[in-house]
Amino acid sequence: MTTTEMGRRSSDRRPVITELIDEPTIQSIAEDAWTALVGEDEILVPLPGELPGDVVSSWVDVVGPWTGTVVLTTGRETAAGLTRALLGEHAPAELEDEDIVDAFGEIANVVGGNVKAALPGPSALSLPDVGDAPAVRNPADLCRVDVLWRGEPLSISVQGALPALPVH
Amino acid sequence: MRALVIDDSRAMRRIVSGTLEKLGFEVEQAGDGREGLDALERGYIPDLVTVDWNMPVMDGLQFVSAVRSNPGYRSMTIMMVTSESEHTQIVRALAAGAHEYVIKPFTADALRDKLALLGLLPQEVSL
Repeated sequence: MTTTEMGRRSSDRRPVITELIDEPTIQSIAEDAWTALVGEDEILVPLPGELPGDVVSSWVDVVGPWTGTVVLTTGRETAAGLTRALLGEHAPAELEDEDIVDAFGEIANVVGGNVKAALPGPSALSLPDVGDAPAVRNPADLCRVDVLWRGEPLSISVQGALPALPVH
Repeated sequence: MRALVIDDSRAMRRIVSGTLEKLGFEVEQAGDGREGLDALERGYIPDLVTVDWNMPVMDGLQFVSAVRSNPGYRSMTIMMVTSESEHTQIVRALAAGAHEYVIKPFTADALRDKLALLGLLPQEVSL
């Protein structure tokens, strides 16, 4: 093996998310966010549920030694319910899409910020985005937690932004 | 007492403002650091500024630096309220001139306790 080959192989090694964070840590971060933002009595039950056909995602990107995205996905109705719970007495009588985008994005921001803090740094955090979830680029670079909030399914994925490296 | 709440999330602005109003503050809101500076330049000089870190147009750290470079704003207490929880980020914010740092998610009680430590409200105030 030449030095160049050795150097390439060494630099090609990058950690996948399951080497850096585990599902209980993500679950714990999400629970803390729910308790503080959504309500003290709001719990996330660690059980999978079938997401409805009409879903919405919110996410933030983490760029650093590990680069990827923290994605929350749930049904649109559940996202609206989360918005009402988060705003509490400050919720408008009629929620607008903008309210849901704002509130669901802020939850992703808080969860993502704390996931970032659990990863090797320094890293940068993007502003939140809301819409159709970014595609999973590398199934091996994915850590996903499925929970139920008020009986409704919600998933939290921490997924790498880069495709899998070729196998030598 | 007067407060200025700066956050690009309307939801978070409502939550922080609601908590501060319950504690007796008169509150104005701004959607980013530039809007926050605009409020100051219009003459709204608060006792307390809470400011998010990651915002479009002007982020929280740029806002803190801009405020600290103006002697006319020296009396204001600045609290970063952000999901940036890495130690290095906290150090950067405090070095730039923030007085206190609150990591999202936070509870209303935690915010009240921080304000009490800063001498911005009596500790017996309850929410």
